Amino acid sequence: MSSATKDPIARGALTHPDVTRLDDVNRDVLKMMSAPGKGWWALFGLATAGLGIFFTSWGWQLYRGIGASGLNAPVGWGVYITTFVFWVGIAHSGTLISAILFLFRAPWRQAIYRAAEAMTVFAVMTAGLFPLIHVGRLWHAYWLIPYPNSRFLWPNFKSPLVWDVFAITTYFTVSATFFYLGTIPDIAAARDRATGLRKKLYQVISLGWRGSDQQWHHFGKAYIFLAALATPLVLSVHSVVSWDFAVSIVPGWHTTIFAPYFVAGAIYSGVAMVITLIVPIRKIFHLEAYVTTKHFDAMAKLCLLTSMIVGYAYMSEFFMAWYSGEEIERTAFWNRLFGTYWWATWIMLTCNMFVPIMLWFKRVRYSIPALFVISIFVNIGMWFERYVIVVTSLHHEYEPFAWGIYRPSLTEMGILVGSFAWFSFWFLLFTRLLPPIAIQELKEVLPPPMRKQKEAH
Amino acid sequence: MTDGIKRRDFLKVLGVSGAGATMTGCGPGEVEKLLPYVVQPEEITPGVATWYATTCGCPSGCGIWVRTREGRAVKIEGNPDHPISQGAVCLQGHASLQHLYNPDRFAGPMIREGDVFRQGTWDEAERLLAARINQSTTAGHSVMFVGGHLGPTMTRLVDQFVDSVDGSRVEYHAVSNAPLREATRIAYGTNEVPTYDIGASDFLLSFGNDFIETGSSPVAHNKGLAQMSSVDAAGSKGRFVYLGPRLSTTGLNADEWIPIRPGSEAAVALGMASVIAGDASAAGPYTDVLRAYSPATAAQAAGVSEDSIRDLAERFASQSPTLALGPGMGSHHRNATAANLAVMILNDVAGNVGRTVHYDANVTAAAAAYADMESAVSDLAAGQVGVAMVHGANPAYSMPEASGFVDAFAHAAFRVSFASAMDETSALADLILPDRHFLEAWGDSMPRQGVMALQQPVMQAVTHFDSKQAGDVLLAVSTHLGKDLGGTTFYEFMRDSHREMHDSSMGDFEESWRQALREGAVEHDTGATATATQLQAPDVALSFDTPALDEGGDLTLLVHPSPRFGAGEFSNSPWLQELPDPVSKITWHSWLEMNGHTAEQRGIREGDIVTVTSPHGSVDVPVWIYPGIREDAVALAMGGGHTNMGRWADGSGVNALALLPSESEQPSGAMVTLATTVTVTSTGERRRIATVDGSKGDQHDRPIAPAVALADLGHAEESEGEEDHGELKELQGVGGFVPVPAEGGAATAFPLEGAQHGAYVDAHELPRWAMAIDLDKCTGCSACVTACQAENNVPWVGEDQILMGRDMNWVRIERYYEHIDATQAGDLDVRMLPMICQHCGNAPCEPVCPVFATYHTPEGVNAQIYNRCVGTRYCANNCPYKVRVFNWYRYTEENVPEPMNWQWNPDVTVRTNGIMEKCSFCMQRIREVENRAALEEGRAINDGEIVPACEQSCPAEAIVFGNIRDENSRVSQVVSSERTYRVLDEILNTQPAVHYLRKVTFHEVATGGHE
Repeated sequence: MSSATKDPIARGALTHPDVTRLDDVNRDVLKMMSAPGKGWWALFGLATAGLGIFFTSWGWQLYRGIGASGLNAPVGWGVYITTFVFWVGIAHSGTLISAILFLFRAPWRQAIYRAAEAMTVFAVMTAGLFPLIHVGRLWHAYWLIPYPNSRFLWPNFKSPLVWDVFAITTYFTVSATFFYLGTIPDIAAARDRATGLRKKLYQVISLGWRGSDQQWHHFGKAYIFLAALATPLVLSVHSVVSWDFAVSIVPGWHTTIFAPYFVAGAIYSGVAMVITLIVPIRKIFHLEAYVTTKHFDAMAKLCLLTSMIVGYAYMSEFFMAWYSGEEIERTAFWNRLFGTYWWATWIMLTCNMFVPIMLWFKRVRYSIPALFVISIFVNIGMWFERYVIVVTSLHHEYEPFAWGIYRPSLTEMGILVGSFAWFSFWFLLFTRLLPPIAIQELKEVLPPPMRKQKEAH
Repeated sequence: MTDGIKRRDFLKVLGVSGAGATMTGCGPGEVEKLLPYVVQPEEITPGVATWYATTCGCPSGCGIWVRTREGRAVKIEGNPDHPISQGAVCLQGHASLQHLYNPDRFAGPMIREGDVFRQGTWDEAERLLAARINQSTTAGHSVMFVGGHLGPTMTRLVDQFVDSVDGSRVEYHAVSNAPLREATRIAYGTNEVPTYDIGASDFLLSFGNDFIETGSSPVAHNKGLAQMSSVDAAGSKGRFVYLGPRLSTTGLNADEWIPIRPGSEAAVALGMASVIAGDASAAGPYTDVLRAYSPATAAQAAGVSEDSIRDLAERFASQSPTLALGPGMGSHHRNATAANLAVMILNDVAGNVGRTVHYDANVTAAAAAYADMESAVSDLAAGQVGVAMVHGANPAYSMPEASGFVDAFAHAAFRVSFASAMDETSALADLILPDRHFLEAWGDSMPRQGVMALQQPVMQAVTHFDSKQAGDVLLAVSTHLGKDLGGTTFYEFMRDSHREMHDSSMGDFEESWRQALREGAVEHDTGATATATQLQAPDVALSFDTPALDEGGDLTLLVHPSPRFGAGEFSNSPWLQELPDPVSKITWHSWLEMNGHTAEQRGIREGDIVTVTSPHGSVDVPVWIYPGIREDAVALAMGGGHTNMGRWADGSGVNALALLPSESEQPSGAMVTLATTVTVTSTGERRRIATVDGSKGDQHDRPIAPAVALADLGHAEESEGEEDHGELKELQGVGGFVPVPAEGGAATAFPLEGAQHGAYVDAHELPRWAMAIDLDKCTGCSACVTACQAENNVPWVGEDQILMGRDMNWVRIERYYEHIDATQAGDLDVRMLPMICQHCGNAPCEPVCPVFATYHTPEGVNAQIYNRCVGTRYCANNCPYKVRVFNWYRYTEENVPEPMNWQWNPDVTVRTNGIMEKCSFCMQRIREVENRAALEEGRAINDGEIVPACEQSCPAEAIVFGNIRDENSRVSQVVSSERTYRVLDEILNTQPAVHYLRKVTFHEVATGGHE
């Protein structure tokens, strides 16, 4: 890995030129957990208000019926499924950054992976709500879970929706475990500084971590095993989600490209979301020394790569629709570009294919404001990608007489906005309760604390 | 054991004596209150339906069977033994259940006190009416009884009643065949409307006659149309040509459309007759008339080419028998009688009299003269009327505003309404005496000479409403007045009057009476009164010219009765409100039909709200672009814009009559509906059209409703090139998933071993239910849609939900325009396709359901298990036919007020919020027959014994249901036609159980994507 050592990011000293003492790391990171500024409170207040919208909207829908949404026939899936896929997608880059990049020994992950992992867990928590919000009879949704029952009925294992149940629960379990495991040494560090109730809490959840050799040894082994376990999930979960569509016969859904296309899209949107989250955290908690432009550059490159994969997928879908010669398929894709929902498609293409072209420029990759703006574009674009897939495909299907138009209702919009609040609520709590930057891994890449250096200081 | 009575014995005695005590005649009889069955009445077995034969409410007098369950009427079906309707009912007939259980019915007699009504007792109300009649007589004022369709006995009773108080009866039908009746009188001397044998004709012309929607007998005519225009076993097919400015449902079924100018029917008919007759003297007393017309003059009047008229006349003459129908209610212009007479001349010269048109049957269709109402209005306005009674009519709504009825009615000293629910006229009344619904009341109908149809109560009056039969009220009032009209109840009066009519040649009266009650109608040979079949000279002056229209506008206004609401009397039914109009596919609100070119010229788009102004009034209504209307005309249906009729009718649409003058045509006295021109100006506002048509009638070249040219029949096999996958095709041909031995003898491998298809049981013993729908017969009348709603407890959702795309109907009649041109005469090709669950053998909806809420039964039916459904809606997404509908709200709880829910079929689950539903092939009917067959010594089910609601109601007999595994079944026979195809099967291999038979056209069918 000679090239790696030449890469400044590979060597913490150069990545974090302003961080010299291991003490500083503890201090700076743990400081984030102690004194919330006005900014944090403002965001937290906003998130709580959003949660109010979320539960009011959902409550209203439960009270009135699923008709409170704008869904209809033929568009039986709309904003809920769009947002479900969106959040599942977001959930992917966390594991990618923490597990896959860990296995590939890409050291630039250290500064951001904790936040990315937390994002994964909360995004899955958000995504997992949407199938529940979406079904007509929430109170019977547990019938999708296989359990021995008096009716002697299993769920239909042929249905992709049942696969979804497994995919999402598995992914949540593994990513939550992986996330928790990685935080144990840091919780212990926090425990050592905390007082009162917090200390008690950290004492319990740090599972008696003392930093002994043996503990580090087990920790290392466990971490690498879990990383290996989580890695295939990154690919499988979103593949399964894509099969919700690909297994059907709906023109615009029924394509074999969906699994890789969705996985790339997931990573793309996830990385963009990490950028969107890290930029304000870095600013609010003054972590410029820990998360540097080099890290952003690396994330931007990943974005650029996945944007090209996604763009290729779009183009190949259009090409295949034309090349197939199948009239109904052709009409579906023509309609996607120029039909009722043309605007959604063009938002998708603009945000996901055209805007990221700017990432070819180094100056853009190194400009935090530019990256932040681009990441917002990508987030929007990726939401619209799912909206386009779900809605435009359904509204013009095989039977022309049954074509219809779908307009999302206020309730759906409330739940969509509320889902961001739900996610932010947990994420903001996380920044206050757990070290949002991995102390122990960061220390690994810092120069060892040599006596000479200390004296020289 | 003690010696006392045993429990079982006690129950036996109780049962026997109880049954004896509750034994009644043929009707359920009068019981004071519905009681739970402590003692079960003999006639009623809980869980088993009882059927009663009776007669439907409108003047057509179709025979119906009413299915009752535990004393409640739940379904209306056609009486197959009835001489007129022959087993079918129209959509309004089906929907009359909703008028029976209409929550807006009056709770009891209503007496006006100031501005409000107070509920009184019947005795009080009857005494009040008697007192006011006395008062009126004393004051020297008259008594007026305005009656709609009454039936022979009720007419007799009313006449006796008004005679006894020196009053008068005025007949009033909002939709009337008066010009036809008058023309018949002038030409043939019979003051009745003729009967048509549409089915027997080979070439049918309709001069703006919408005979499958309105007219003397829409159901029978619909049956006739399907019979004549569908291809027969010999490969021949009758041609139907529609001449008129606008295509109605009837018109959409034509093979050719000649968009003649409104009002030019007489000129065209006479022009044609002059060609056919050659020597004009063939027309007898009308020779001079005929000489005045030629194809050239006709072409000029009609605005079409002379060649097209001459050609049509020649083709008409070359066929035999043929039939021409004169202008109906929608084209009652100022020379409507003459136009009808002109068509009679055409029929005469074509030799159709006595073959396809009969003037001796004496059809007593609604044909009241509007002129009578006009004079009644002037009597009322003059303040000469002491007591004005209105029964079975709603003139305050159905007479044009210009008639002044509302003001005139106010001049009557005392106003009485017999309406069972509030309407615009009752709102003006002083006393409301709510009549019974026809399903709760006695009555009779004589749809044509010799057919006596009885109407009997099929259930006890709905207990929420203290209603009383109008006949009983009149008898009670006359008792208070000290008169005796004979009989203390209307039932006795009716029996007596039938006994009088009975003559010994008809056998024993009691036997005949019982037979009539059992069968609904008896047909007596009246020895066909000899009627003139020679044209008689006119005794009144007639003009055959195109009539003048009221000027002031640049577009001709066509006002026609709605296929759903008639003239507005059926509007307060959510089924009918939500039924997509057969032509426009719009629900609930009104629309103005306008040709696309006209709209484009004026910068009007579909959904623009326009002000339509005539010299008589104006309305604001959204525009709907329709290629089936002439560019110089706009059309508006009747039946909308009620202001005081009930929760579903009020505020829905606009009343077209506001634009019309109050004028009667001479000499028939019919109301003129085609009277005026209008201007159309945009208001600048827009609204979304509550339509269920997602593609504006465009099939987008997809093989949904393909057609085949008549000339290509018999050659279709060669072109399809089935050799490549012949084995598969053979299997598909019999319904899918049926292992059929290939030529070698061994069973083919399709479907693959049972495991391949999971739940798909390969059960040889069981039937495979399937359906065949012949698109060549389907007329798009939509009776099946309403029948299905009634049978399967399909809820209605309301206009706002339709706008959101949430219609719930299990049957969707898709209407695709293939060729339709309002600018020139020529081929017309409109496809009607009833789309229901296809019960695919390889159903896309089944594997995607996570909880097995939809699955395949061993009998091949795609079943939906309502209480298993969690509502993921994946099945609906994956259904290429889009026949799955979802309960977005608690429609069945929220939309269905008491006692409307009494109509629910107890055999079908009432669905709740958040679940999917769809056509079940009327599974409850399949099970019922299966159970009955099993109980009867385990006999096999006979073919045709299971009849789904849609098949039952289809007047065109386009639908056939049965076991396709039985090669002798009707459905197998029908499906063996070369016209058979299955929608999207070639693309998706869904292997539907529903087979369609292509429509047959006379012209070549464009092949793009259709084969």
